[in-house]
Amino acid sequence: MARADDYAPFRDRCAIAGIGRTEFSRDSGRSELALATEAARAAMADAGLTADDIDGVVRCQMDHNSASAMTGALALRNVGFSADVAVGGDAPCAMVGVAVAAVLSGQARHVLVYRSLNGRSEGRLGAAIAPRPEAGGHGNYDEFFTPYGLLTAPQSFALLARRHMIEYGTTEEHFGAVAIACREHANRTPHAQMHGKPLDMTQYLASRMISDPLRLFDCCLETDGAAAVIVTTAERAKDLAQPPALIRATAHAPATGMSGGMMFPSITWEEPLKLAPRNVARQLWARAGLGPQDMDVAQIYDCFTISLMLQLEQYGLCGEGESGPFVASGAISADGGSIPVNTDGGNMSGGYIHGLNHIVEGVRQMRGTADVQVKDAETCLVTSGPMGISSAMVLRRAA
Amino acid sequence: MTLPRIRPATWDRDTGPFFAAAAERRLVYKHCNACGRGNHVPTPSCRFCGSTDTAWREAEGKGTLYTWTTVTHPVHPAYPAPYTVVIVTLEAAPDVRLTGSVPGAPDLAPGQPMEVWFEDLGEGCVLPNWRPA
Ligand SMILES: [Zn+2]
Repeated sequence: MARADDYAPFRDRCAIAGIGRTEFSRDSGRSELALATEAARAAMADAGLTADDIDGVVRCQMDHNSASAMTGALALRNVGFSADVAVGGDAPCAMVGVAVAAVLSGQARHVLVYRSLNGRSEGRLGAAIAPRPEAGGHGNYDEFFTPYGLLTAPQSFALLARRHMIEYGTTEEHFGAVAIACREHANRTPHAQMHGKPLDMTQYLASRMISDPLRLFDCCLETDGAAAVIVTTAERAKDLAQPPALIRATAHAPATGMSGGMMFPSITWEEPLKLAPRNVARQLWARAGLGPQDMDVAQIYDCFTISLMLQLEQYGLCGEGESGPFVASGAISADGGSIPVNTDGGNMSGGYIHGLNHIVEGVRQMRGTADVQVKDAETCLVTSGPMGISSAMVLRRAA
Repeated sequence: MTLPRIRPATWDRDTGPFFAAAAERRLVYKHCNACGRGNHVPTPSCRFCGSTDTAWREAEGKGTLYTWTTVTHPVHPAYPAPYTVVIVTLEAAPDVRLTGSVPGAPDLAPGQPMEVWFEDLGEGCVLPNWRPA
């Protein structure tokens, strides 16, 4: 493992200089390329940059828009660096990490990082796999899960949620507290998809069971939309249009005792309630020279309520097994909580742009321009999807 | 009438022996001769110590319930809800957790004894499955 000293010279050397996003909706009526183009142009305009300034492009490997498609769509003429980063929702903070590596190694000056999906109207990530006669092979290990009816993400995370209840006495009201906290933040964020739709515990408990113990309101949204950010050096960012959000550190790490496969094999790994975030956290805090106690606000990837709770524990924002009582105490609420989480509603109630939305909100907090602004927030933890290989970063407000 | 279940790929060079043994009504898992731990999903080298000195080992079909979920929102015509996916810790190798499926929404308790049974999907394809013992 790289030592903290190895990374120290690179702390705060890069920044996010521009952010952009489209409307978040259930049916955009537009192609994913059109959405990506709008979000990218919004991020460039936000930073005060033109197409000729963008010389690096980083794509999520699940995005339907290739880096070359984006290069064409945006009429970029100076691209000299591009990369695809995996996997899906686990990738966004790692995508920023790759952009940082490109910038600090002189391969690019301004890197566009984007994610676009018609996640509701075209390809529903929450839906089952297409009916097919056979599953598995080639190291995806679906042969050990799919034939038994383990078909979707909520089912896979439900197994973890049940195990958390067994080991730690976590209750359904604990899960509900996460959904309600995210919804309360969304209700104060005009662009959030669930804006204007309050949620209380009675409504949460009445929502239909999907795969027990997870209900409808334990599951994130499916969204049509796109988001983009621009990464450059902190030095250059100072001269651009917005206050830079400094990238203190990023990390991208796999789980211990893991295998290949997308999601289902996680229940067979060494410690299913720890997974990748434990290892990401260890690397991230060392690189940042900071710890969970130093964070003023956090944007935590929330595909499900249990996903967010597991990460609270693994990043050290609460003790192991204590995430249930922690969230029930109001700790993640922007109204007086010790660590406000997902201040725009997150994936649960804001919009599901596969985790790039968490980065955009983290930058807004560091600029002081969030709709649910945490007063005087100077540091923000941002995380991406929590299973096999995950990523995270620490953002800082520029002095 | 229910549609045919999704069949497991049985041709994969790393995982095929699990299903070949099941066709003979035997439950097997990958054992590491170097560190002594069981590996599932089966891989060519041990995920705990990295050794390639691994071998298939037969196990008695006994285990305990690790976790489960009752699926109430159906997503596939061959899998009408409700049904319950169970994850079972293998008694012979506590690092090994195997999947099963129980009809309906049974009352289950963590750690309860489970036993293997072999579900014949036809054409030589057999799925090791689990039910309360
Ligand atoms: Zn071993």
